[in-house]
Amino acid sequence: MSLSQKSPPTPIELIDWLNDEGILDLDVLFPEDGDLFAAGLDSMAVMQLVVAIEECYGVVLEPADLNKQSLATPKALADLIGGKK
Amino acid sequence: MKTADDIFDVGVIGGGSAGLAAAVSAARCGAKTLLVDRHGFLGGMGTASLVHSFCGLYLLRDDPGAVIANPGFAEEIARLMIAATGRGPQRMGRVDVLPQHPVEFASIADRLVRAEPSLTLLLHVEVLTVESSHEGWQVELGGRPVSRRVTVRSLVDASGDAVVASLLGMEAPMTAAPLLQRPAYVFGVQGVGLNDAGDGLQIAGFIVEGIRRGLLPEAAMGMTFRASGKSGEVFGSLDLTGGDSLAGYDPLDAGCLTRLELSGREIARAGVAFLRSLHPGWAGAFISHWPVRAGIRESRRWLGESTLRGDDLINGRRFDDEIALATWPMEFRENPKGPKLRYPDENRPCGIPLRCLKPLGMDRLWVAGRCISADHDAQASIRVMGTCFSTGEAAGMAAAREVGHGKVASTREV
Repeated sequence: MSLSQKSPPTPIELIDWLNDEGILDLDVLFPEDGDLFAAGLDSMAVMQLVVAIEECYGVVLEPADLNKQSLATPKALADLIGGKK
Repeated sequence: MKTADDIFDVGVIGGGSAGLAAAVSAARCGAKTLLVDRHGFLGGMGTASLVHSFCGLYLLRDDPGAVIANPGFAEEIARLMIAATGRGPQRMGRVDVLPQHPVEFASIADRLVRAEPSLTLLLHVEVLTVESSHEGWQVELGGRPVSRRVTVRSLVDASGDAVVASLLGMEAPMTAAPLLQRPAYVFGVQGVGLNDAGDGLQIAGFIVEGIRRGLLPEAAMGMTFRASGKSGEVFGSLDLTGGDSLAGYDPLDAGCLTRLELSGREIARAGVAFLRSLHPGWAGAFISHWPVRAGIRESRRWLGESTLRGDDLINGRRFDDEIALATWPMEFRENPKGPKLRYPDENRPCGIPLRCLKPLGMDRLWVAGRCISADHDAQASIRVMGTCFSTGEAAGMAAAREVGHGKVASTREV
């Protein structure tokens, strides 16, 4: 892991990060259990997400990690990244 | 001497979603109408380029349930497509889209054209020249069929590329690469097992892993698959760079277009072969059809009496002479990594003024579809097929009215 890589994000940090990376356009008040798919997360955005998570957090997500539950909310996604760290 | 066969009230160049709507609408007003297209079927992006969703048909809403934005031709097509496929609108993220099947779309277009006795359709022709004449426009049609000259009293440019502007030597701005929207490449795959939405996420993971392991080209990034609604069939989609670099893309250059087609097929083949080797549901998958052409999202645009701007879309601006509502978020695909969507404030729809369909300083000439007068940002919304049906309908009715075949003005009741 390189020193430039961040420690696992909290759900709130993850909301800001998704906006900063241009993966999603979430409201500042987006809840940590809000529905990311309803907010526009689709398979194309998931590809960007997987690449950005690897670059930023040094976590490699495998195809088997990606499903409707693991990516459902900022909280679920933060747990997924944290669990892989 | 000119025969009655060679003279038309309205001529429509291009039979994509906008041109189909324009020609059928003009004919329904009683105008003797000619529709020409370069392919062997109508539908443009929705058939030749296999784009399999009608976007822009519905209002943006937080609440569930799709509500048609524009009555008239757009609503009619939606109803016919739902009857043909048995599939209604789907919520995808924050937007509602109508899944459509290119094979059904071509047949629906045939039926609509056949039902209009005053509409003449010529397929497999391009427009070679357009000249102003005292009767209206002299149009030379050609291609593989023998060249043929016709006179049209009022002309609708639904070519998508502002072909008529180019032939008349008019200014037609085009956003420069690299900002220009990337082209789409869509292909058909059959023999696929599972294909629900959850599976799509896992497939996205496989594609990224293939690129990471060097087994797939970088250009496969963004390749996605969606069920077509027919058993075992999915459509694969990707955005192409358009050249060796983003800056090298020119949708009006034959060499560049050729490279697009070749690279689209190469990347698609690699992607499907990779999934076939890894994914149990894909063991029997094969590419069943290529698009006739890559889907060009943006090229030249007309300069109209008014130009719709991105700010208008953001603010949901309304106009006294609006002929339709633009409801699709501005969808930017300026790089092949994935779309960026910009939504209007409070989901407000934006009016499209008739003046955006009226080339500046030109009589008896109308424009419809993705090359109406709009800036790059606004074009990212109004280019979608659901909206093109409505700008086409309005242009066709305006052209017919201008030569004395009027229904009531097509301005929307606000």
